[in-house]
Amino acid sequence: MRIRRLREASEAMKHQGLETTIGTVGRANARPDKIVVESVSKSFDGMRALDRVSLKVRSGEFLSIVGPSGCGKSTLLYMVGGFVMPTEGRIVADGKEVKRPGVDRGVVFQEYALFPWLSVAENIAYPLKRLGKPADEQRTIVRRYLDLMGLAQFADAFPRTLSGGMKQRVALARTFAYDPDILLLDEPFGALDSQTREIMQEELLRLWRSTGKTVVMVTHDVDEAVYLSSRICVMSQRPGRFVREFAIDLDQQMTREEMVLSEQYRRTRNAVWLSVREQVVRPGMQEGS
Amino acid sequence: MTRGLKTVGYLASLGLAVAIWDGLIRCGLANADLLPGPGAVFKSLVEQATTAEFRADLWETLFRSVLGLVIGAAVAVPLGVVMALSPAARGFFEPLVKASYSLPKISLIPLLILWFGIGTTTNVIAVVLSTLLPVLVYTYHGVESVPKVLLWSANAMGTGPREMVWRVRIPAALPSILIGIRVGLGLSFVIAIAAEMIASNRGIGKLIFVYGESGAYAPMFAAVTAVVIAAATIDIAFLRMSDYVLRWSDSHAVKR
Repeated sequence: MRIRRLREASEAMKHQGLETTIGTVGRANARPDKIVVESVSKSFDGMRALDRVSLKVRSGEFLSIVGPSGCGKSTLLYMVGGFVMPTEGRIVADGKEVKRPGVDRGVVFQEYALFPWLSVAENIAYPLKRLGKPADEQRTIVRRYLDLMGLAQFADAFPRTLSGGMKQRVALARTFAYDPDILLLDEPFGALDSQTREIMQEELLRLWRSTGKTVVMVTHDVDEAVYLSSRICVMSQRPGRFVREFAIDLDQQMTREEMVLSEQYRRTRNAVWLSVREQVVRPGMQEGS
Repeated sequence: MTRGLKTVGYLASLGLAVAIWDGLIRCGLANADLLPGPGAVFKSLVEQATTAEFRADLWETLFRSVLGLVIGAAVAVPLGVVMALSPAARGFFEPLVKASYSLPKISLIPLLILWFGIGTTTNVIAVVLSTLLPVLVYTYHGVESVPKVLLWSANAMGTGPREMVWRVRIPAALPSILIGIRVGLGLSFVIAIAAEMIASNRGIGKLIFVYGESGAYAPMFAAVTAVVIAAATIDIAFLRMSDYVLRWSDSHAVKR
């Protein structure tokens, strides 16, 4: 009964013209493809986690992947990162096939993944050292990102003394500081309380707008996806496939409060939410959380 | 404040044990000839501690145990790292480690005497053999169980294979390695003293053995007490050092 209602609602959305076929949203935009996922499948011990997934991410785009938990969205992100290899298909970033992790693709994990034995400043400097930047340049960059992220007074603190929000700030600063073209964000704010999450989202949006990086973010938070992204792809239950795609075109001049209250935001948010919901509630399956 | 309270608690606990010990003898529940009272032991300890021979024996025992542990760790830490990184090395050493783990290394002493004679070499080798395995096993697990997300993150930031070992795996394994060395530290005194009883002309172990044989129980207990004090002091010093080295660490595994 409930499922039918969801179906009808999502049919109604189609008529409102919010939804389009995968790959056609914003195609008029002539920016080059930064990441191309070509018919990628992934199996773990014979269990299919992802099923022939294709995706193109254009340069400078902020793409979010949403879907029910366990649908393989993080696996896809890890494959773009080069940490996990596809069982079938291939992934191309900047014209080169992804075979291993690379400094062109910066990753921010939900668990922060800071080095606990290094201070905040040393953590931010770590990738700069690996890239062989001169010491004075390292210092300048570290100083700039410490200031930008409001971390200056914690420069010499060890990560364990910081709150979750602060740790994630350090992780974002560390990734932005070495300036990778592509940012891969795996539920970056999933472990944060709601106030901190909102502040961090705004900081991320500001950084993205000022740098024009290509961002792929995995999240299960529909509001977060709608607020941040220029495009949202919805994934199905395992084995994951893309089922819907939404172009998000919200007025960037609006404050967050205005945006959340706007008709356009609510409509978009509900459409995405219903589409995800439809994937979570499926015949013969328990409703997920 | 907390540390002060803790110290008070420790002293109270030790004081109570000594009081019970004293009480048992005063009430005639224990034979003072076989179990000398704390007063007699303390007196003997003070007397002996002023002699150069006793201090030389104590020094000898500490030297043997610490040297054995240092050599053992110097072999075990690199070997543990290599085993965690190389499946081939793991394949070769794992059966050896498993087979020798439950072997009481002290039982090899007669063989060691045959090869190296009576003296420091045999004692130190006994300590090396005994401390090697715990340090090896803790190091191996520490290096092997570095969280995947740290390795991925390091990889994404351009960490090469060699840097991965030095800058990521070993620092991440340090808490575990230090626990292994502390376990080895505790063992090293036990083994050094046991080895001296069998295979040495010097050292506190030999002294304890000789006093015990000749029925001089007060000096024997005094010698045991001296070892306990020395071992506890070194253990506390090691813990302080660990606390400082691991001041970044979340886990209090190695801390009190």
